[in-house]
Amino acid sequence: MNGESPLEILIGETDQVNPAILLAEEFMRRNAADLLSADDVCRAETVLNEGRMEIETIRRQIAAFERSLPSPSIYTPRGF
Amino acid sequence: MRPERQHPNKLGFGERLSRSLEYLSFKTRIHNAIASYELVERVLSEQQKYVMYREMFPKEWKRSRASLYRRGYYGRYSERVNELFNLVNENCFPLLDFAYDDSESEFEQFAIPPLNVDLCCEDIYFDNLKLSYAAALIFYIPDDAWDFLNQRFKLSRSDFAEIHSDPHPNVWDRKNGSLFGELLRLVDHSTGNPWLDSNYCQTADWFSWDQETIVGLTAEYKAANEIYEKLNILDEMIEADPKKVLLALIDFWNKGEHPGLVLPASVVEKDV
Repeated sequence: MNGESPLEILIGETDQVNPAILLAEEFMRRNAADLLSADDVCRAETVLNEGRMEIETIRRQIAAFERSLPSPSIYTPRGF
Repeated sequence: MRPERQHPNKLGFGERLSRSLEYLSFKTRIHNAIASYELVERVLSEQQKYVMYREMFPKEWKRSRASLYRRGYYGRYSERVNELFNLVNENCFPLLDFAYDDSESEFEQFAIPPLNVDLCCEDIYFDNLKLSYAAALIFYIPDDAWDFLNQRFKLSRSDFAEIHSDPHPNVWDRKNGSLFGELLRLVDHSTGNPWLDSNYCQTADWFSWDQETIVGLTAEYKAANEIYEKLNILDEMIEADPKKVLLALIDFWNKGEHPGLVLPASVVEKDV
């Protein structure tokens, strides 16, 4: 953990949006009658793959978080 | 004043409204990665079907005004994709029959309804069968088949040679072009045609929705119907002289020799 607090680890993480969200926005703005090219389909499949991996990662993290046992903190965070 | 002609790619008011509603509905879910992922999948699936629509039914695509945005009867798909399903159903094969009258249906993977008689579990109504098919059942469900033949033509099992438990290997040889072979492969569900070899008892084969599969199933559906049509000749021959044809059929089963009931060469080549 390099002595970093969870908050510092979170702040240090790369800021990104699931690529499926960005592609969905792009798709929703285009005219459906303009059919996708082979390149578009290929790009969309890559994005779907990346998006699926990210969703799976988050699902695994949520599952791990739910499995972790609660433990009392030695101090009460500000605001509680 | 001449009415303004609408450009095919220019959206009318209704379609623009549908598109806007679709977009607004999407915006309420945009921050959900799973919803976005599903939407991209849906767009890809629909786009693939639009390409198919345009290639398989270019005239219909050109004059279609079905919405690319509003959901159709099959609610997972746009009206335009629904139109494609109907076109396939009307022009290619019965896609929407039987299990597909459910508006929640998905067509990414689909099963086809069998065109053959289910000898395993179905109640067999001999009067509803083609005559040649009913006659060939003497090899599969002999008691019922002989009862039918006796009732219809006053023929009984004792009038004929004993039937071997297993057919001669020639029966399954497609190259000989025998109509009897065609008939027996049909009854045996071993034609190689998915419309004729499947039944409701076994797990259905699932087909993916792509142009190659749709074109292939269309050809197989046509071939399946042609096989039934070919049997009309045998039906007529049985009507004319049932004993003679049954003797020949049993001879074919036992010895693999067909009595000159050969299909035209073009049909044989196509089948092989």
